[in-house]
Amino acid sequence: MTVAASLKSKSIWPGITLRWSSATLIFALFVIISFIVIAVTIPLWSPYDPVGMAGRRLQPPSALHWCGTDALGRDVLTRALWGTRYSLPIAVFVLGVAVPVGVLLGTAAGFFGGIIDNAVMRLADVTLAFPPVLLAMAIAASLGPGLVNTAVALIIVWWPIYARLMRAQVLNVKKLDHVDAAVIAGAGRFRILFKHIMPLCWSPILVNTTMDVGLVILLASGLSFIGLGAQPPAPEWGQMVAEGASNFYSWWIALAPGMAIFLISISSNFLGDALRDVLDPQVKLPA
Amino acid sequence: MVDVLPSVFLRLKPKFTRVLLAAALVGTLGISAEAKAADDTIVVARAMDINSLDPARAYCDTCQIYLSAVYQPLLTLAADNKTIIPSLAEKWEVSPDVTTFTFNLNPAAKFSDGSPVTGDDVKWTLERLKNVKGSASYLMDSVKSIEVKDPHTVVITTKTPNSELLGILSAPYTGIINSKLASANGANAAEDAATSDTSDTWFLSNSAGSGPFTLESYKADDNLRFKRNDNYWGTKPAAAVVIMKQTADAVTQAQMLGSGTADIAMQIDPDTAKSIQDPNIVFQTIPSFNFVYVAFSPVAEGSPVPLTRDVREAIALAIDYKGAIDFTVGGEGKLQPAAIPNGFPGTSNLPDPETNIEKAKELLAKAGLADGFTLDLTFAAMNVYGIDLSLLAQKLEQDLAKINVKLALKPATFNVWVTDIDKPVPFTIGFFAPDYFGSAQYVQYFGMIPNMPWGTRAGVGKAEGLDGKEELELFNKALAAAIEQQEEAYRALAMKMIDDKIILPLVSPNLVLAHRKDIGGVRYSACCNLPLAEIVKN
Repeated sequence: MTVAASLKSKSIWPGITLRWSSATLIFALFVIISFIVIAVTIPLWSPYDPVGMAGRRLQPPSALHWCGTDALGRDVLTRALWGTRYSLPIAVFVLGVAVPVGVLLGTAAGFFGGIIDNAVMRLADVTLAFPPVLLAMAIAASLGPGLVNTAVALIIVWWPIYARLMRAQVLNVKKLDHVDAAVIAGAGRFRILFKHIMPLCWSPILVNTTMDVGLVILLASGLSFIGLGAQPPAPEWGQMVAEGASNFYSWWIALAPGMAIFLISISSNFLGDALRDVLDPQVKLPA
Repeated sequence: MVDVLPSVFLRLKPKFTRVLLAAALVGTLGISAEAKAADDTIVVARAMDINSLDPARAYCDTCQIYLSAVYQPLLTLAADNKTIIPSLAEKWEVSPDVTTFTFNLNPAAKFSDGSPVTGDDVKWTLERLKNVKGSASYLMDSVKSIEVKDPHTVVITTKTPNSELLGILSAPYTGIINSKLASANGANAAEDAATSDTSDTWFLSNSAGSGPFTLESYKADDNLRFKRNDNYWGTKPAAAVVIMKQTADAVTQAQMLGSGTADIAMQIDPDTAKSIQDPNIVFQTIPSFNFVYVAFSPVAEGSPVPLTRDVREAIALAIDYKGAIDFTVGGEGKLQPAAIPNGFPGTSNLPDPETNIEKAKELLAKAGLADGFTLDLTFAAMNVYGIDLSLLAQKLEQDLAKINVKLALKPATFNVWVTDIDKPVPFTIGFFAPDYFGSAQYVQYFGMIPNMPWGTRAGVGKAEGLDGKEELELFNKALAAAIEQQEEAYRALAMKMIDDKIILPLVSPNLVLAHRKDIGGVRYSACCNLPLAEIVKN
C-alpha cells in the first residue's frame, strides 16, 4: 500500500476524509515547509557567499557547484536558496496587507450595501479593469524600481479580488435563516456580522489566499525579471532568471531559480486545492 | 455556497499565449521572406539606437553606419583607421598656422538625383550642422567662416588653430547634403535653424546624399532599408539592398545568423560568441575604440563623504581592472589607461591602471574613512558594446567591498540615466564611442575644462584641486600642434586626466564582428562603424 492509498481511508477529523490528492498535499507541505526552513536558517549553513565570488565564472554544474556558477562566479544554488528570503516575505507581506484590506472593504460593502457598496465596488472595478500585470508594471515603474515598491504595486492590484470575494460571501450568508433568526432574536448589527456571518465566510478566503501565494511570487519575480523589482546584486529569483536569459547558452544559471519559482507556485496551488477539498462541503468526493 | 473566483491571471493566460504565438509566427515568416528575397540583399541584425536620420541631428552608433552609407563627408578614414583619405574633396591644403583649410572638390561627385556636389552644398551643410544645435554640432565649434571660392573650392577658417579639423571633416555627421533638395523640404542653414528648420520628418523617409546607397524606407523599431544609389559616382556597391533589422539582444542576433535570416551581426557578446559552434558563422574579434568607464562628480549632492582626490584614488586602486575584463567580456578586452582610446594620439606608453588594496586602505584611513561608507552607483541597466553594465556594477560592488566601501547599485533606464548624470550624481558608469579619429573630442568631453560636459559635472573651479586652467592651456597647445607633435601634446593631457582621478576607464572591449561564411568585406571603422558599401555576398 502506498502512502497516499493508506491515507485514503484514514480521517483526520470526523466527517472529513483525505483523498488521492493527499500525495500532492504532502508534496506541497514538504516543499513549503522546506522553503520556510531554508529562508529562516540559510545564514547558518549557506554553502557560499550569495553575493561574493565562489569560483570560476560560468561553470556548468559540478560536485563543487551543484547548480553551476553565474557570470560573476557566484554559486547559483546558494543564490537560489537565499532567494527564499526575498520571495516568501514578499508573498506574506503582500497578502498580509491585501487580504485584510480586501476582506474589510468587501465585508463593509456586502453587509451595509448602499453607498458604501457602490463606492468600494466601483473602486474595485476600476482596478480590475486593467490587466493586473500591466497595472503592477505601471505602478512599479512610476514608483521606481525596488522590492518595497513592487510590494506596494502588488497590494494595489490584489485587494479588489478579496473585496469582491468577501462581498459575495457576505451577501450569500446574509440571506440564510440563522441570520434572520438572530435578527428576530434582537441581536445587534455587529453581533450579527461578527458572530453569525463572518465565521461562514472564511473558507474561500483561506483557499484563495493559499493559492495566491504562488501567484504573488510569480508576479513579483516577473517584475524583477523585467528590472522593476529586486535590484542587483540581490539573489532574487526573477532577477536571477533574467541574468540567465542574458547568458542564454549557460542554461544552468536560470535553472535553479526557475525551479524554485515553479516548485513554490505549484505547491501553493496544490495546498490551496487540498484546502478547498477539505473546507468545501459541496465538492463531491470521488467514488 | 462557496464561490471561489478563478484568478484573473489564469483567465488571461491562454489568450496571451495565443497572441504571442501569432506574433512570433508572423515575425518569423516576415524575416524569412525578406532573407530569401534576393542574393544581393544583405541583412544586418542590430539593436538600433536611431534618434534621427538628418545628418545635422543624428547622433548614435547606428547613425554612423547610416550616414556613412548614404552621405559622404569631404574626407574619410582609410581601413587602417588612422590615415585620412579623399572622399568628396580630392585635394586639400592646410596653412602653416593650422587655421585655414582649402578643399578642392572632386568634379565628378554628384548626388543621387544626378546634380553635382558644389561648394555651396558644403558651406550650407556645415553651417546647418552648426546652427541646428544638435548633439553633433560641437564638431563645428571652432569654425569661424566657410567661403566658397568657386564651385569646386571651399576655404574653411577656424577661430583658433585646430589640427583636428581634418579628422572632424571625416566624421559621418559632416556628410554633405544636397542643399537644393533639402531646402525644398523644409531644411535651412540660417542661424535660427534649430527652430526654423522643419525637415527632421522629411529626412526619416528621404535621403539627399551622394553616398553609395539611398534610403529606401525606415520603420522605427522595425527595419531600416537601403537601396543601391544607381547614380553613384564611385565604384557601385555589390549589394542592391541592405536591410538593417531591429534585433534587441545578442542571443537573437546569434540565432538569426545561425538560421541564415541575418548575414551580419556586430553586437554579440564574447561569452555568447564562444558558446556557438556553427561552421557557417565567422567571428572576428578585434580591438575597438569604445570604452566603459566610471566617473565621479565631487560636487554632486547626495555624496555621503567628500569625494576628495585621496578618496577617488583609493576607489581607483581598489578596482580589479583585469577581473572586470574577464567578468564582463570573458577576457576579450584591453585595459585602457586614460579616457582616450588606445591607439588614438597621445596614448602610447601610458601607465596601466593599478590595483593595490593595501594602498587604497591606507588612503582611506588617511582620510579618516577606514570604516568605509556607502556610495550610490547610478548606471543605465543596459548592454553596451557587449558589456552588461549591471554585471559590471556588481563586479565593482564586490571589489569596493574589500576596502569597506559599500556600493548601493541604482540601475535606471537609459533615458533616466542620461538626465541623472547632468544633475549630477556622485558616481556613475558611462560609455563612449568615437565620432571621428582624433583625441580632441575626448579632451572636450572628459577633460577638466570649464563648460565641457565632464568638467561641469565634476565641478571645475568649484571642486578642490580641479581649477581647469592647466588642462585648458594644454588643450589649446595640442590644437595648435602640427600633426607630428600631436602625440606628445595629447600624451601630456592624458597624463593629467589620469591624475585627476575623475574618469576611470575600466574596459575597452573587443568588438565581435560576426557574419555568415558567404559574406566578405566586413570591417570595423573608427569613424563609420560598419562601411556597408564594402560588403559583398558570394
